[in-house]
Amino acid sequence: MIRYVTRRLLWIIPVLFAVSVITFLLMHAVPGGPWAREKQLPDAVEARLNAQYGLDQPLYEQYARWAVAFATGDLGPSYRYQDRTVNDIVADGFWTTVQLGIMAFALSVIVGIPLGILAALGHNRWPDYLTTSVSILGIATPSFILAIMLIVVFSVQLGWFPTGGWKGPEYWVLPTIALAGFPIAVIARYTRASMLEVTRKDYIRTAHSKGVRNQSVVSRHMIRNALIPVVTILGPTLAFLVTGSFIIERVFNIPGMGQFYLNAIATRDYSLLMAMTMLYAFAVAFLNVVVDVLYAYIDPRIRYS
Amino acid sequence: MAQKRLLGLVAVVAIIAAACGGATATTAPGSQEPGTSGPPASGGVAPTANTGDLAEEQILNVDIAGEPPTLDPNKAQDSNSLTVLRALHRPLVYIDPATLEPVPALAESWEISEDAKTLTFTLRDAQYSNGDPIVAGDLVYSWKRLVDPRTAAPYSYVMAEVEGAGDLLALAGADPLPADAEIDALLDTLGVEAPDDKTFIVHLSTPATYFLAAMTLWVGVPIQESWITSPDAFEAGNYVSSGPFQLQTWNHNSEIVLTPNPNWYGETKPTLTEIHMSMSPEPAQAMAAYEAGEIDMLLPVPSEDIERVKADPVMGAEYTEPPALSITYYTFNNGTDPSGEGTLERCQDPKACPTTNKNFRIALTQAVDKEAFKLATFANTGIVAGTMIMPGLPGATPDYFPYQYDLAAAQESMATALQELGYASAADIPPLRFGFNTGAGHEPRVAFLAQAWEEAFGLKTDQIGSEFGVFLTQRTAGEYDLARNGWGADYPHANNQLNGLFTCGGGNNDDQYCNPQVDELLTQAASEQDQAAQQALYEQANKIIADDAAALFLRWGVNSQLVRPYVGGLQVTPMDSQVPGEHFYESIQMLVRQ
Repeated sequence: MIRYVTRRLLWIIPVLFAVSVITFLLMHAVPGGPWAREKQLPDAVEARLNAQYGLDQPLYEQYARWAVAFATGDLGPSYRYQDRTVNDIVADGFWTTVQLGIMAFALSVIVGIPLGILAALGHNRWPDYLTTSVSILGIATPSFILAIMLIVVFSVQLGWFPTGGWKGPEYWVLPTIALAGFPIAVIARYTRASMLEVTRKDYIRTAHSKGVRNQSVVSRHMIRNALIPVVTILGPTLAFLVTGSFIIERVFNIPGMGQFYLNAIATRDYSLLMAMTMLYAFAVAFLNVVVDVLYAYIDPRIRYS
Repeated sequence: MAQKRLLGLVAVVAIIAAACGGATATTAPGSQEPGTSGPPASGGVAPTANTGDLAEEQILNVDIAGEPPTLDPNKAQDSNSLTVLRALHRPLVYIDPATLEPVPALAESWEISEDAKTLTFTLRDAQYSNGDPIVAGDLVYSWKRLVDPRTAAPYSYVMAEVEGAGDLLALAGADPLPADAEIDALLDTLGVEAPDDKTFIVHLSTPATYFLAAMTLWVGVPIQESWITSPDAFEAGNYVSSGPFQLQTWNHNSEIVLTPNPNWYGETKPTLTEIHMSMSPEPAQAMAAYEAGEIDMLLPVPSEDIERVKADPVMGAEYTEPPALSITYYTFNNGTDPSGEGTLERCQDPKACPTTNKNFRIALTQAVDKEAFKLATFANTGIVAGTMIMPGLPGATPDYFPYQYDLAAAQESMATALQELGYASAADIPPLRFGFNTGAGHEPRVAFLAQAWEEAFGLKTDQIGSEFGVFLTQRTAGEYDLARNGWGADYPHANNQLNGLFTCGGGNNDDQYCNPQVDELLTQAASEQDQAAQQALYEQANKIIADDAAALFLRWGVNSQLVRPYVGGLQVTPMDSQVPGEHFYESIQMLVRQ
């Protein structure tokens, strides 16, 4: 098991390497650069900035310089926020983004799984129809639409929560809901489908015929087995939430990292963009390993060697 | 040596005052066009100042639309930096909010030599926020730092006319840079000196009548060397300001809080005790924050909200559209190589680049109903434009429309153009490359124009939407036949509207336009001391550019803004970009809420 985990973790390194090369090449292949503005810089100033930041050197040299610095934990200077390093910017926004992601994740699990179970137990009756329609709505509504609707209703109309910012618990509520909307729907649907499948299994029929109480059939036999496929999507969901809050952070003006990711792309802030991509790539790769390991605990049939 | 004060240009002031004060009246240009006889509803309504008793709590909440990329005055260039810097610093001369003329700020007076090449400023007694005196030597330091190629400051070009600056600015492009000693030696020859703490002298290499106007920019403020070279100089607690406010806190990407600078030298002392600046990158969120009462002012109001805001019984009364020094125009590719000499590679054959034909450009201009364009795509805000220089600036010709909306005339111009180009019909022309940047609301405008040309001539366009950076690169290189464009004034002077934009090989000459006559006029105007004569030269250049149909000028902008009735003392200027009254935060007062 330990050997397996170690091997999987070591595999992350070549994955990150591949991601970095591809991102680096794509980023530089796109026209435009960090100094482009509607009002153009004088050519001489642009040349000087390129020289100062080493952007006038061949790509492989730039990449090598970046990789060496990255390996030592130096993410480089930001091109747009010239007085700050990428390390500063990441340190500022990292925990906010993680906090938002984890809160949204917790909300999606706490709401999504019971919703799915309820729907399955009330199959083809109103709890099912209600849950199914709500989750279809949740999947079909982009998060920024949900976010703006929440702002209009709960901030502008009712005045219960602030429209944006991140200064205390009251600021966390709307973004968490907006971000959790989609995963709640996905998790509820997965749970429902999985529960329905399990219901038809022989061992459930056996349990019922043995005279086991319905409540314990559901909790001990059905839910436990039904959750295995659900766990599969929890890993990517957590990764999606921690990394996928760009839009929500922007709409709610949350000082996380996600906001900077969009900015970095638009303003060709190469070093910031690389740092963000690497962080997110690492998060996805790492969480996938975590999920695989979790399988072994939930499903005794799965063994790694 | 006979000397004269530059102030007191009564004639010019009167003209500007007339244009600025009666902003609604300057909507006249549209009135000569067919179908534009309606009321000038959106011609820029100057806000009336709110009045009332002072509120107990003097805290102003505003939004600056994003984290300022830097608060280094020499290096700043983005509007979210400038809106903060205007509270933190004040240059030698500043703008008069009504006339936009340079007025004393840190300098209590100045004298200009007869040859207009030496400017001598006398500084007032003043201190920084840290209590140190502001001395002329700090201006020398700041200006040298600005042109120093090692600083690579985006706005270093405003120093171009200072003696010795040309060599330094050119040096920025050298790779590798010469040794530090060599650069330092050049910096020593820069034409700025401080004979004593209270006197600052600038030597210009050539008379530049617009230099005083350029000095109202944020880049030339006094800077203490010991501060700006210290670590983390721009963080709150370390920041040394010379303006009415100081940097209290800066929570990056979240909020800036300003408090009054206790050592502020200006006559108007701030009434506000705190200014909170949030940084919402999403205009819809800022709009919601205004509606929820979290911020007290909003600029600009998102154009999709304007109709709703105007119809709202409360917000409708809080909404105004004072004029702004900005213009929306569309670039025609005139075909000159970006270097300013020769013809663009892809336009060697005029048939491949029909916009290089003057009659063709005229036809396209005549086929556009600008009033309808403004109504359909700008929520009817702004003033229909026929030339480049914005109304309110000397040199503007707001009533000059050489090519009015006239479909019959457009057909005639097109017929001539087709003959000259060698096409049988406009439909035979391969689709014109029409570039714009996506995701910024330009799609309906591009569609409007493309449709107008297709309907009038059967002319096809290939509408190419690109990401901003990609678009800019292509536009600069002259890859498009038509492209979206816009300009906002850096400083209120005609030179800033034409020089570099319509001069041969100019850095922002996206029209690939070159008319030596225009270059000549602008050079003359720069050294013309007589205000009336200078203004006439700019007017002439402005008209020639429009006569050449160098670009499709569409609309001069307004600042669509919302201000709560309990915000008083605003001094709005057409240079405001993120916060109404941002040039004079010190005069803002919070009033008792009714």
